Amino acid sequence: MPKNLIFKRRSEDEDIKASGMYLDFDEMGKKGVMSSADSSIAKWYGIYKSRQPGQHMARIVIPGGVVTSEQAKNIAAVSEKYGQGIINVTTRQALQFHWLKVPNLADVMRELFEYGNSTRHGCGDVTRNVTACPLAETCPAARINARKWARKTADVLGAQRDLDDLPRKFKINYSGCRADCAQPHINCVGLSGVVYKGQPGFKVVIGGGMGWKPFVAQPLFGFIPEASAVDVCRAVALLFREHGDRFNRAKSRLKFVVHRNGIDFCRDVVLQNLLSEGKSQEGFVVEDIDDEGTSYEERPLLQDTPKGTDGLFTVRVIIPKGELPFRKFYELAKLSEQYGDQRLYTSNRQNLEMHGVESRDVSNLKFAIHNLGFETDGSFSLRDIVTCVGTTYCPKAVTETRVLFDRIHRLVSRDTYRGILSSGIINITGCPNSCSPYRIADIGFRGMRIREEEGSVEGYEVLLGGSQTSFGEKLGEFKLCDCEEVVTLVLDAFMMVRRDDEFLTRCVQRVGIEYFRRAVYGEV
Amino acid sequence: MARFKYNKAAKPLESTVETGIGTSALDLKTIAKAIPCQEACPAKTNVPAYIEAIARGEDDKAYRINQEDNIFPGVLGRICTRVCEDACRHKWTNVEGPVQICHLKRYAADNIKEKQSAMPPWFGPTGKKIMVIGAGPAGLSAARDLSRMGHQVTVVEKAPAPGGMLVDGIPAFRLPRDIVSAEIALIEQGGVEIRTDVHVTQTMVDDYCNAYDAVLLAAGTTVTNSIAIPGAEDRQISGLDFMRGYNRGEVTAVRGNVVVVGGGFTAVDCARAARRVGEKDALVSIAYRRTEASMAADKNEFQAMAEEEIAIRTLLSPLRFELNDRGAGTLVLQRNLVADGTLGVKAKIVPLEGSEVRIPCDTLIVAIGQKRDESLLPFGVDSEEDGKTSKPGLFVSGDFKGGSADVISAVASGKNVARLMDEYLMGKRRLMRGVKYEVTDCDGETGRYRDHDIQFPLPMPMAPVAQRFENNAEVETGFTQLIAQNAAARCYLCHYKFEIDQDKCIHCNWCIEASPRDCIKKAARIFYDADGFPTKVFEAERNQDATYIYIDNDECIRCGKCLRVCPTEAIRMRKLEAGDCVKCDD
Repeated sequence: MPKNLIFKRRSEDEDIKASGMYLDFDEMGKKGVMSSADSSIAKWYGIYKSRQPGQHMARIVIPGGVVTSEQAKNIAAVSEKYGQGIINVTTRQALQFHWLKVPNLADVMRELFEYGNSTRHGCGDVTRNVTACPLAETCPAARINARKWARKTADVLGAQRDLDDLPRKFKINYSGCRADCAQPHINCVGLSGVVYKGQPGFKVVIGGGMGWKPFVAQPLFGFIPEASAVDVCRAVALLFREHGDRFNRAKSRLKFVVHRNGIDFCRDVVLQNLLSEGKSQEGFVVEDIDDEGTSYEERPLLQDTPKGTDGLFTVRVIIPKGELPFRKFYELAKLSEQYGDQRLYTSNRQNLEMHGVESRDVSNLKFAIHNLGFETDGSFSLRDIVTCVGTTYCPKAVTETRVLFDRIHRLVSRDTYRGILSSGIINITGCPNSCSPYRIADIGFRGMRIREEEGSVEGYEVLLGGSQTSFGEKLGEFKLCDCEEVVTLVLDAFMMVRRDDEFLTRCVQRVGIEYFRRAVYGEV
Repeated sequence: MARFKYNKAAKPLESTVETGIGTSALDLKTIAKAIPCQEACPAKTNVPAYIEAIARGEDDKAYRINQEDNIFPGVLGRICTRVCEDACRHKWTNVEGPVQICHLKRYAADNIKEKQSAMPPWFGPTGKKIMVIGAGPAGLSAARDLSRMGHQVTVVEKAPAPGGMLVDGIPAFRLPRDIVSAEIALIEQGGVEIRTDVHVTQTMVDDYCNAYDAVLLAAGTTVTNSIAIPGAEDRQISGLDFMRGYNRGEVTAVRGNVVVVGGGFTAVDCARAARRVGEKDALVSIAYRRTEASMAADKNEFQAMAEEEIAIRTLLSPLRFELNDRGAGTLVLQRNLVADGTLGVKAKIVPLEGSEVRIPCDTLIVAIGQKRDESLLPFGVDSEEDGKTSKPGLFVSGDFKGGSADVISAVASGKNVARLMDEYLMGKRRLMRGVKYEVTDCDGETGRYRDHDIQFPLPMPMAPVAQRFENNAEVETGFTQLIAQNAAARCYLCHYKFEIDQDKCIHCNWCIEASPRDCIKKAARIFYDADGFPTKVFEAERNQDATYIYIDNDECIRCGKCLRVCPTEAIRMRKLEAGDCVKCDD
């Protein structure tokens, strides 16, 4: 059939989706290979191709970022059996396996399912893992239990088949208060707990996102009653489904819909969607309401061992590079049974947490965790560097981010910087996709290659002074071999002008990026 | 000394300007490489631009784009020799042959929806008067462009109607006359005066030179070549005379079996015309001393000749003509071979002594070329370099200048001489050839995708043989919209150029991953000529050896996937348009 030069408003991925979105992993396993079309659909099952040919990654969806110790042990067992014993914690509170082979994928999913673990909708153009602020239930600052709503949203939206084919991925998260620990402004939909006229509910922002083109989310509603949260998430998903770009996948995320059409248009569509499905809009307030929540600096999340409203403590496990062996993961699950609430919590700093620890057990638990080789204090510090997997596994990555992690980690661990450790965070991402959101960190690195006289070398674009509502400013582009020196110059310059306990980002905003540029480039 | 300032390899530049008009050697080299069909076209027609318009259903726009460089889109859409198609990138990147550029040109001309008007003038009236001798393709091209430059142009023509070889040489079943007259009418609308039935002589040329500011001799080649065939001295008709008679309706019948000697355009036309006016069941043959590959006819014409039962006999040279007692004639020919030639030199004919082939022949047409009427050239003209003669104000162009050639060459010749004449009259070059660059903001969305490249092109529909002989009907019936858009969609749209800004590129290789074929490469080194034009690219295998990520425009299919996937917005798509630009310092 001849093909005219028509404007095909559909990408090749959309063609593949239209040809059927189901895979038989057992049959595929017998053949032993996954075609490129199959690998597009495999994303809906949480399976990605790895950088290494024939290897795959599986992402376990963990709504709200909590697994029971039984589920954790199951994950450890599957990792040992099929994934070379490696488990990764992601910044969106999921867990990942690498090194999976096609013949094993069906068994991986089956064995995970035994304990209610699932990779379904781990990737693909669907509602992705719904995240929540880690301290959710017992955070003294929380207005509302974010985790409860995160899990409910995941359950409801995940079961709606008409949301299986969105233009692109769709990310929702819940924070307990306006301190926004779950980072609502860099997600498609962010809901933050607020109290309005004595009634608990959420402030809703939509259209944020990192990636190659970053956007800060815009306020959709100042207040919605908590009972409407899931309905609003669905109404936004429908807005996205109908208005997202299905031709250019690089511009199909909700953030582009909001940016292109304006937030007022989006709000009208969302309200219309609610109306047409007979959902209540009662109590909705468009304008911002007067409940600012806890300030960034004072939020309990930043404490090393925060105490909950139930009088029990949270103990952190800092996972370097977000990667740990199955045996240690298994041991941590056991520790949560012994000291905690029999659950492991994942955080958006790629760390694990144990909640519900009695005051008398805190030191014992920390001792046990130290024995496993992990630190417990210093999350949200310069040493708690978040890095994507980089070229170690990821086919998209440009740089080997873990090399930079090692160098920077060693650098900021020096005694010189003991006084400023808690002044900020460092994120390193291997490509513009920003899996480690480098734009919102105090110091952010984004991998690139830098052209030389002949050939090219690994390097990084370095940003300073980012937060989730104001992204970092560009310091410059530096070769990998220079990055340590650059960080040294930045931190030394920071220490010279730092006021009290000032965060690096606040300092950059106060003195300006030019000060740091001069410090680094040595120009007068 | 500033820290962290790295030495980097220079950014490759393929144009002198970002947007706007570039006229340097680098710009012209870039466009020549980027758009091979346009470069190959003698008249430099903006092929991809009009094909894109056809693909988008904008046939009027396509016709207009054609008109800019070529006064005869409808005519050349039928009879062009299609050097552009030989240069098409599909010739080396595909197995389905080139884009059917010529047929598409015709499709646009045949499907104009709105009444066309003359092309707008480039300059206001200059008060200069010009005489053009010959209303053939060269003369009319020159006249149209000179008129657009603001000069007052008169064209004189010997024949009763303008068109030259278009109406005298080419038969109507290949080129319907209403097509020719419609396009000539557009030229007249633009202010060109055409006087027919004017028999120009050498004295008149001299008089014109005195009375006009400039004179163009574009009288074509009207003197036919002949060969001595013993026994046929007074029986042979020249091909041109036969076609002229046929086209003017003076030849309505030919006697018996026909043999046409020759292998050029005229020979084929003569044979097909003879078939139409000849006796039923008579033999019509072409006898040519070289092989079919050397004949001017294209694939469609060979097919048409086969359907019309015209025998093509090759590697034969006429020896003599014989007549038997019953009045039936025979042409006796000798077999010959074509010697292995040297590249670029026409191979020699080697007769096979003693061999004889006899073809029944009652009418013998000899179509072995024409030459110009030397007597028209004023006395004392001794040089005609580039169309400018040694006599001030007298110019030559078309077949008259370079010997008989195809129509597109004549059009190009007329176009070029018009610019020379303008320069002569105005004392400076007012029209410059340049490249217009325009940065697009459509996300690289051209509408093309890989499937377009590999689909089968459909053939030109032809009238059934039975219908062809009624009313001299046109044989090739033209593309339907479906066929045309299908053919147009194959075009790579080479006027769009995807480029990577090397200072923004981070070597993520995502464009390479997304590319539909081996169109984006890692380059270790790029070599340039003196004008800064990249002449050679050393490819690199490994990331660390790649100095640049480089888009190979020869392989690019303009799907835009690379641009859309680029996370640093380093890739852009520029639209390139080569053509005449009015000189700014005018």
